[in-house]
Amino acid sequence: MKSEYKIAAVLFIVGMALIGGVYYLKKEKHSRAALLDKSDKKIIIPSDSPKIKEVQEYLEDLQKLYKEGKSVLPLEKDELDEKGEIAQSVALKDARFLSDTKADGKILHNDIMRVLPAMPSMLDAKSKTLCKGECYIVEKYNFVSNSTTRAIVDVAKRRVVAVKRYDNMQTDISNRLKKIAKAIALKSPEIIKELGHTPTPNELSMANVRTNLQESPCEEKHHLCVAPTFADHQKELALWAIVDLTELKLAAAKWAGLGKTYTPACIDERTLQNRYIVKNFCQKDNNVSRDGWEFTYHLTGSDGLELRNIRYKGQEVTRSLKIVDWHVAYKGLGADKLDTSTPTIVEGRRVEFVKGENNEYTFGYNDAMGCPMFSTSVVLAFNGPQIKPIIQKGKEAGFAIVQDFRNPKWPMACNYRYQNRFEFYKDGSFRVVGINLGRGCSNKAIYRPVMRLDITAGKKERFALYQGEHWREWATEQKYQSTSKEPLYKGHYLYRIDNKEEPKRGFYVEPNRGQFHDNSRGDHERVFVTKYNPNEGDEDLLTLGSCCKLDQDGIEPYLSNEKIDGENLVFWYVPRIQNDDRPGHEYCWADSTIDEYGNPSVKLWPCIVGPKFVPIKNIDKEK
Amino acid sequence: MKRFIPIFIVILLLAGASYFLLFNDEKEPKNALQKELQLDDFNKVRSCATLPPFLYQNGIRRPIIDLSQQRYKGVAFLYGPKFSKVLHKKTWERFDALGTYTIDKYGNIYLTPNPYISITPATFNLQKAIYKMDKRSGKLERWMVLDDVIPTANNPYGLISILYDCEDGTLWVSAIDKSDYKGGKGRIYHIDPKSKEIIEKIENVDALTLAWLYTKKSRYLLMGSALDNGLYAFAFKNGKVVKEARKLFELPNPKLHIRKIKVVGKNKLYLEAIKFTYSLIAETAKKQRTQYIAQYDSKLKKWEVKELKQ
Repeated sequence: MKSEYKIAAVLFIVGMALIGGVYYLKKEKHSRAALLDKSDKKIIIPSDSPKIKEVQEYLEDLQKLYKEGKSVLPLEKDELDEKGEIAQSVALKDARFLSDTKADGKILHNDIMRVLPAMPSMLDAKSKTLCKGECYIVEKYNFVSNSTTRAIVDVAKRRVVAVKRYDNMQTDISNRLKKIAKAIALKSPEIIKELGHTPTPNELSMANVRTNLQESPCEEKHHLCVAPTFADHQKELALWAIVDLTELKLAAAKWAGLGKTYTPACIDERTLQNRYIVKNFCQKDNNVSRDGWEFTYHLTGSDGLELRNIRYKGQEVTRSLKIVDWHVAYKGLGADKLDTSTPTIVEGRRVEFVKGENNEYTFGYNDAMGCPMFSTSVVLAFNGPQIKPIIQKGKEAGFAIVQDFRNPKWPMACNYRYQNRFEFYKDGSFRVVGINLGRGCSNKAIYRPVMRLDITAGKKERFALYQGEHWREWATEQKYQSTSKEPLYKGHYLYRIDNKEEPKRGFYVEPNRGQFHDNSRGDHERVFVTKYNPNEGDEDLLTLGSCCKLDQDGIEPYLSNEKIDGENLVFWYVPRIQNDDRPGHEYCWADSTIDEYGNPSVKLWPCIVGPKFVPIKNIDKEK
Repeated sequence: MKRFIPIFIVILLLAGASYFLLFNDEKEPKNALQKELQLDDFNKVRSCATLPPFLYQNGIRRPIIDLSQQRYKGVAFLYGPKFSKVLHKKTWERFDALGTYTIDKYGNIYLTPNPYISITPATFNLQKAIYKMDKRSGKLERWMVLDDVIPTANNPYGLISILYDCEDGTLWVSAIDKSDYKGGKGRIYHIDPKSKEIIEKIENVDALTLAWLYTKKSRYLLMGSALDNGLYAFAFKNGKVVKEARKLFELPNPKLHIRKIKVVGKNKLYLEAIKFTYSLIAETAKKQRTQYIAQYDSKLKKWEVKELKQ
């Protein structure tokens, strides 16, 4: 080989190797950047909180403290010097310092967060003149009101010089809470899964960094939150664990690039949840296959959680199940003085008024439930759908898929919370359940969930109403108002949807008369049967009719006297619930209260409505 | 010399390989909302808008145009001492809630709709139109319908903001329908009011609000984004808009979106921001909005954005 060829060959090999090497390094850098961008969008939403020793001990200490009649958890001795101990003890005897530690006789969760020598910059002019000797600052945080109280204590004279309260302000946290935050982060299954190993305390940093800015993850709830992080310097990434110290749990976690100018603290927990819900349940269908049942489900823009193409042991039993609306109406007296010339707005919603007889009127709203973003709803999906087993008499009888919807400010007055619950039993029966968890605007509310149930009993469906001795089949579209006192077929069933040519295919419908052991006061339902029309709710249905015309449920325009015998039918079921706020009799109600640990909590009195569909062949097999 | 040809070929091959592998980077996906823009000094400019003669005839001089929908549906004019007097007609309610307005040099008021709280069968259609209140009669009419604006249950919004261009008497109107979780598919339409023709269209931008900003040398069309917390600007070149929005700054709170922009002084903007998720929880009253002052340092080319405490 000529030397020029040899040189050319060597040059080619070396050159290509060099170019290849540089190309590889460049790609590596690029892919790391891409990984970073991908990770930046990844949000981890925890499911259940595990029991953590440090949290349990803390809660036990709180209970012990409250039993002793005390209201503020002091700092432990290892966080105090000698004078600090004196300052804390003096502050804890001062009525001004303790004035916000009880409400309605109930102790509110308060912790001393720090005790330290008062620096001149912490004192105002008056305090400076009073602090002749050595003064200490004692700071406590009120978890209920999200406020900080600072006492300036003259240690020598053992007296409180000044007390200042800072509303919506959070102080630095105590070492104990820092340890708890670390423990929550280190022991959370989601964090372990994300990191790929059980982390050690050495991997953690910034456990005391409060996300106390306006953009904090717990901004909506005004909770005390901190953000311990796990840094992975090789990947140039950090996993941020956002810990809610008011609820003592991991609120969310998020990957972010090291050295980014923003942090996950810039996004609150609800926003994270909303994105997760939209991405996983609004933008795509999900599938369930369990106990012989198969179906798809998704969250809609305004019709709540919709289940579609439901099959039991391979046979289609319903095309679509959903609760499309909640009509909320309140009764009032004094219709003659009612001025409706200008709109009335309550909690940001326009109120509809309907004048009735005897000087009465009704007013209220139509509540659509749906996706938290990109929707026409005002009661928004809260967390994603959850699938839970149904346990009856100690055995698993089936499963339920449940979706929670809330106004962001629930349980405040005029804010609502609903649940869509679909129960599927191993014997082929199913129940569609609407749950109202209060609280509404007043105690004279009538709630009407509108259920659209597209049952499938074959190609030639028919509907019948039980009338004592016999079933009366409906020839045309119509409605029926139940008295709740009708005789029921075999003591349970009032309605029947079956197949004209195959009568054992279909369902008996068991209305809720309080027999389902869920403290329900019954459905008091109105039912409608219409011929299937794709424009009548097969797709997302906008708010139906009036909230407050109690003689109408919004489905009436779909009743056009069409023949329904042997057609594809849609069954509409509208329960009617009256709420109750009488002490001891609450129903469809919610109240804010203080729990045993002095933290804010909500007491619920749900009302549960909805019919059960039982396969005809399960009931008539005895014949 | 001929014998060196193989070496030259190898060098050429290596050069070619280097270019394609090392210097010919994959083109970044075009993102209209990326590059930050540096401005010169800017200041308030007197608008050409004039008071509608029908208001003048009613003795109304400096009204507030109330579109909050809190007390009056549609539109109302508040005036008099402490704005305690109201001019509101029942016929101004017929197009339901309205969201933004702009006034032309003759006193005609152009308005855009806003879905508000509950949806009726008419709501989606109402979002497709620009409404006009006649300068002399005060009559409110559906002035122009844009058929390619299609609100749905998954995004009930349509036309959302409007701005009059004093330089050529045209209108700039933004729509944010069709946008979804995956991204913005909104448009800004540039409309000739005389012919009701769309002169041009900027696509894939979701402008929640529009405003003008004038520097000594040029002008910019500002927009508050419905998708994020940024303020963006479109530059103009030879009188034509450059269809690439460039970011000026972001609000400190990532959940807030700019719904109102006003130049209030030298290098100073007043902003109102709302939480916005393309669902129906719409903040319309001023007290439900977060207010900011954005101050621009033209030497350092930096913005300082401060929240105004109410």
